[in-house]
Amino acid sequence: MPSKTRGTRLASTLLATSLLAAAPVAAGDFVDWNDDGTVTLKLGPTYDDTEITVQAADLGALFGPDEQPFEGEEISITVNAGGPKGGISGPLYAFRGPWQELTGATLNVIELPFAEHYTKMMLDLRNGTGQYDAFMVGAFWYGDIVPGGFAFPVDELMETGDFPRWSYDVMPESLHALHSWDGVGYGVLNDADGQVLYYRKSALEDPEHRAAFEAEYGYALPVPPTTWQQLLDVARYFSGKNWDANDAEADSGMVLHLKVGEQGHYHFQSLSASFAVTPGEAVDRYHNVYWFDPTDMTALINSPGHVRALEFLQELHLTGPSAQIGWSLGEAWDYFLRGKAVFVFSWGDVGSLCQDTARSRIKGDCAAAILPASTEYYDHETKQFVAVETPQPVGNTTGGSWHGVISNFSANPEATYSFLALMAMEPVSLWSSQNGWTGVDPGFSYQFLQPTGSATVEDYVRAGWDAEDVKTYTQAYYDNFYAPTSLTYLRIPGTFEYWDILDKNLSSAMSGEKTAQEALDDTAASWELVTDRLGRESQLEYYQAAIGYGD
Amino acid sequence: MRWSGRVRYVFLLPAVIWVLAFTVFPLGYSLTLAFFKIESKMEVQREKVPVLDEDGNQVFTSTGRPRTRTIVHREQTTISTFVGSENFERLARDKQVWTAVRVTITFVLVAVPLQLLLGFALALLFNRHIFGRPVLRATMILPIFVTPIAAGYSFFTIFYEEGGPLGFLGIPFLSHPDWALISVILVDVWQWTPFCFLVFLAALQWVPDELYEAAVVDGATGWQVIREVLLPVLQPTIIIVLLLRLAEALKFFDIPFAMTGGGPGVATQSYSFLAFRTGMRFFDLGYASAMSYGLLVVVMVVVILCFKRLRESYA
Repeated sequence: MPSKTRGTRLASTLLATSLLAAAPVAAGDFVDWNDDGTVTLKLGPTYDDTEITVQAADLGALFGPDEQPFEGEEISITVNAGGPKGGISGPLYAFRGPWQELTGATLNVIELPFAEHYTKMMLDLRNGTGQYDAFMVGAFWYGDIVPGGFAFPVDELMETGDFPRWSYDVMPESLHALHSWDGVGYGVLNDADGQVLYYRKSALEDPEHRAAFEAEYGYALPVPPTTWQQLLDVARYFSGKNWDANDAEADSGMVLHLKVGEQGHYHFQSLSASFAVTPGEAVDRYHNVYWFDPTDMTALINSPGHVRALEFLQELHLTGPSAQIGWSLGEAWDYFLRGKAVFVFSWGDVGSLCQDTARSRIKGDCAAAILPASTEYYDHETKQFVAVETPQPVGNTTGGSWHGVISNFSANPEATYSFLALMAMEPVSLWSSQNGWTGVDPGFSYQFLQPTGSATVEDYVRAGWDAEDVKTYTQAYYDNFYAPTSLTYLRIPGTFEYWDILDKNLSSAMSGEKTAQEALDDTAASWELVTDRLGRESQLEYYQAAIGYGD
Repeated sequence: MRWSGRVRYVFLLPAVIWVLAFTVFPLGYSLTLAFFKIESKMEVQREKVPVLDEDGNQVFTSTGRPRTRTIVHREQTTISTFVGSENFERLARDKQVWTAVRVTITFVLVAVPLQLLLGFALALLFNRHIFGRPVLRATMILPIFVTPIAAGYSFFTIFYEEGGPLGFLGIPFLSHPDWALISVILVDVWQWTPFCFLVFLAALQWVPDELYEAAVVDGATGWQVIREVLLPVLQPTIIIVLLLRLAEALKFFDIPFAMTGGGPGVATQSYSFLAFRTGMRFFDLGYASAMSYGLLVVVMVVVILCFKRLRESYA
């Protein structure tokens, strides 16, 4: 009897959910057309009855109080599984109601586990099934999507003025490049990924710790550390001490997310950039290159600079919990949010999650800065390490910058674009970046504080932020995305495979199965095989275009 | 009555179609794939067409511009290039393959004997009258009914090192390469020992009491009864259980997929896991097919050897 009751309830819930998704929404449920020329988008009780106001004119010419331009159409968009309040997937659910009311169409959100999303997408595209209209992609998938002719360009749709307004102009050039290919726009603005350093300001500024650190290491504790070598000292100092009063247990220096098959390799990418990239005015054979030699596609991943960086990461790992070898993002972030580590370097989610007191104990004590730089880098030209007194930080766009790309097999590209464009409108995008659970990270001009951007501290405080936290957070991202030297982004055919090989070998090195040299030598050897298989000449062309070689 | 003439072929036809469609064709197709490199290319053209209302009239936007919609014309071509035995030669050179082979062999050599030994010991225990035997027996076989993927995820939480139920042991179940493989083996043993137990128990219950009695009268100890009486009698059953477990274990995939993702590093990446990733994640279908055929050959050899031994035991 109880199981039958449960089963009936489950069936009713599923039926109700599917009807809710499919049924036409009543006018006014999610959208109010106001007399002052504005439109209120109402997200409903799941999202604390949030209301976002946009200008009616910015919604585009297709939309109006009596218009439902895509009535009866149905679109499906894939996204990394996370649920209605999960990273990247959450906003799709949040804006589904308003969009359905605005258009008369239906949106199906297709959640796929991170490890399977790429596979499902490529199966759909390679087989030409057309099951999905768009994909919330990581920018590193472009090399497999765009040259294959699978992506629908959005420039023309943007120019019509028919759809919700947004612009590539708000992006730093490094992010704009990730949304386009060969000068053509394919990606619709959503997320801006890059890793920055988060640190517990109160611990670093504590007079007792400062005195003890100076006595032990011979220099004043830097707030924040500006070199990786300083950071390692500080992490070592705090590791194993109970410097945080949240519990009676010992705390850590650095926490990392290192689980294989997930996003551990990004730590290495961001950290190693300042060890392995030879700074220079332009991208040439030796300068500003990281992945491959841009003249012949020889893998650079086992260069002495990369190896030294991995050895450094192994040292840094020892200042954190040993279990982090098997941790995904969530576990590592929660460890930091619970006050158990003095540092984490990760994406923008951490900064906004710090403000969520349901999950975080460190609101108001969650400062951020651009990643430190190494005091030595490897010069690919002279084949020697160069010591620098004041190292220049290297920016990064590490991660996926997850955003929508429309499938060329979509039967409704305009309707699909209208949804993605709605999520890209400035007020919507600003709201998303201010709420940590959305997984939407800042990087666009209206998300930075004045004078570098157009947002104000008050905007963020109204959204529940601590004023001090937001100042360092937005500045860290500004500094990162506008850094003079930046880690080039790999997005050539097979990037997912190249990174997967790197990920496996890094995990072997971090768990002690291989030395840093062995792991990166094995990576380089496997990369050579992949390059040969995919065609060295064509890979070279894609790579040169991706990093701006010869521009 | 015997069927004669062509009618008997009619009755055979469904089975033949089934075998051809679901066994012979996939085998043949995947073997073909192993000798080819397959690439897909798509030519795309876009056409803007006017949006019309129900009466066939042009629809305009609020700014008075005619509304259009885009129709994408696509032509997809697949190019297959014959590469001969290249994929099989890669198998021999590929370091990843040999690491996966080492992981798989270690897993098979540890997990399968453990399952057989534990299953046999438990069957001996349950073959006598013990208190609550029916309930214990039913409880014992429950793990068989758990989906391996679900078992993998469940044990991921059990072995979780920071706050998991076994976290107090301080053992790096998932973060140390050796421990991760041991953890995977433990879960497989947990899941499949009951199967061995069940089959051995059924076989033991068919052993006539007279055999035990005769051995006892001859003064045999318990160990001698097992070694000289039970093992020879149960030999065909043991070989069948060994065969089934070996064939399954050589293909192990689900538990590491869910529990460790093949890591840390590639410490728990089995051969099947690697073939799956090669084919379904990186779409290197030819190479994945070659890998699968490599595994098929090994499994076939194991099966043939087991059957040979089985025939000998009956001879």
